[in-house]
Amino acid sequence: MATIVDITEEKALEVKNFEFTYASADEPSIKKLNMPIAKNSITALIGPSGCGKTTLLRAFNRMHDLYPGNEYAGEILFKNRNILTSKEDLINLRIQIGMIFQKPTAFPMSIFDNVAYGMKLQGIKNKTELNDRVEKALCDAAIWKEVKDRLKHDANGLSGGQQQRLCIARAIAVEPEVLLFDEPTSALDPISTSGIEELVIELKKKVSIIIVTHNMQQAARVSDYTGFMYLGELIELGYTEEMFVTPKEKLTEEYITGKFG
Amino acid sequence: MSLIIDKIFAHSTKLVAISVLFLVAWIFTVLFQHSMESMQALGFDFVTETKWAPNLEKFGALPAIYGSIVSTFLAMILAVPLAIGVAIFLSELAPAKLKSPVGVSIELLAAIPSVIYGMWGLFYFVPIIRDTFGGIGISMLTAGIVLSIMILPFMAAVTRDAMNTTPDILKESAYALGGTKWDVIKDIVIPYAKAGIIGSFILALGRAIGETMAVTFVMGNVHKISLDLTAPATSIPVTLANEFTEADTDLYYSSLFELSLLLLVISFTIISIAKFYFLRRTRVA
Repeated sequence: MATIVDITEEKALEVKNFEFTYASADEPSIKKLNMPIAKNSITALIGPSGCGKTTLLRAFNRMHDLYPGNEYAGEILFKNRNILTSKEDLINLRIQIGMIFQKPTAFPMSIFDNVAYGMKLQGIKNKTELNDRVEKALCDAAIWKEVKDRLKHDANGLSGGQQQRLCIARAIAVEPEVLLFDEPTSALDPISTSGIEELVIELKKKVSIIIVTHNMQQAARVSDYTGFMYLGELIELGYTEEMFVTPKEKLTEEYITGKFG
Repeated sequence: MSLIIDKIFAHSTKLVAISVLFLVAWIFTVLFQHSMESMQALGFDFVTETKWAPNLEKFGALPAIYGSIVSTFLAMILAVPLAIGVAIFLSELAPAKLKSPVGVSIELLAAIPSVIYGMWGLFYFVPIIRDTFGGIGISMLTAGIVLSIMILPFMAAVTRDAMNTTPDILKESAYALGGTKWDVIKDIVIPYAKAGIIGSFILALGRAIGETMAVTFVMGNVHKISLDLTAPATSIPVTLANEFTEADTDLYYSSLFELSLLLLVISFTIISIAKFYFLRRTRVA
């Protein structure tokens, strides 16, 4: 059984007996997983490739539903409801639980339109409101100064690090409660990476964050809680400070000391 | 020894490649030479004159140019929305079970020789147009419809390929913001694939404007500019296909060559524009 630390804060999400099976796979990729996610804190998911951390992350906003045949079992509780039911309004869920991807994904439109996109999808047309919220999101994503004079320019003209911060601005512009980061710095240089990390830490005041990372130093630098996954199971969830120093499970220790992975 | 073989190989491929350039230049030269007489005799009047009466030595290409443009325009108006619809369905909406059979049959349609479209149009569409819109059925409208059916599969296939180049991660990003399928298609897929889509339209336009066999059967070869779409008309390739065997005077013969030179220039321009779009796309990607 997994070693799971008691979380004293309020929980943003709670995973209960969660199982996930990809279409045409014989066995579930995630097996009987239980995991609490603390509110207004950063939970990092680490583990070797193929351990199911990205699969778990993409279940929180039901991204798997874009491809037919994938199956969920168990529960993920968000605001006292199970979001895995077929009744769940996915559009609404994805507005409340945003996502940032491995690579910057600037849309083929201007910088302003990129950030305004989520609001426009919700039918917000008021110019002043859009302007205000775009500016606020860009400020919160620490990119306002760099782009304020070229909001009408094509977003693809920005550097990789700027594009990733733009994507973060775009995600926070719709004021989500949870943000999912799927290896957000794997395509970035070290300077952009530390910029994104500082930003992620800043963001936890307003949102709860789950971040999947291949980089253990990154998990240690940014997160409050770390979950170690292996072969589709959660092995250990603990305070980041404790887990990297005194892991409770042998597997966790072997992984963070580099014996496998 | 092997060095010599390498050299021979390199030089022979160079020769073959350069000969393609020569071929293009050669075709141009021949067309130009044969058009000289008509160019000298008729000058610019050739493209503005509306009367084409070989027995009176009157050669006005305007009706053929008009017919080429209008029939192509009709074909594009009919084919573009259908092609976009088919492409959206195939790249974004169709379940996996339908994707490949429909996709393959569209590619098969694109491989049908155009003469078959012409015959099919003559025996199937001409009576329908005659009964529905009046006239004799052989008309500009029929030509436009047959052309649109002919270019549709090509357009749909290339547009679908362009849409398929949209990275999944980009689409997922839009879904992750609460987008619906329609939002993602309209705001992400189509803008992303825009250059490729426009390129496919222009290539299809190039095919339509030079198409001969599919329209020769159904257009009528009547050198008259008429606003009535159900009236018979002609286009540059239709005129060429119908009249080369009848060209009994030197000027007649030469003006047909000038007509073909005109068509070549138009097609060249269109293909160059399309290539420019495609190239720009690949450089970005």
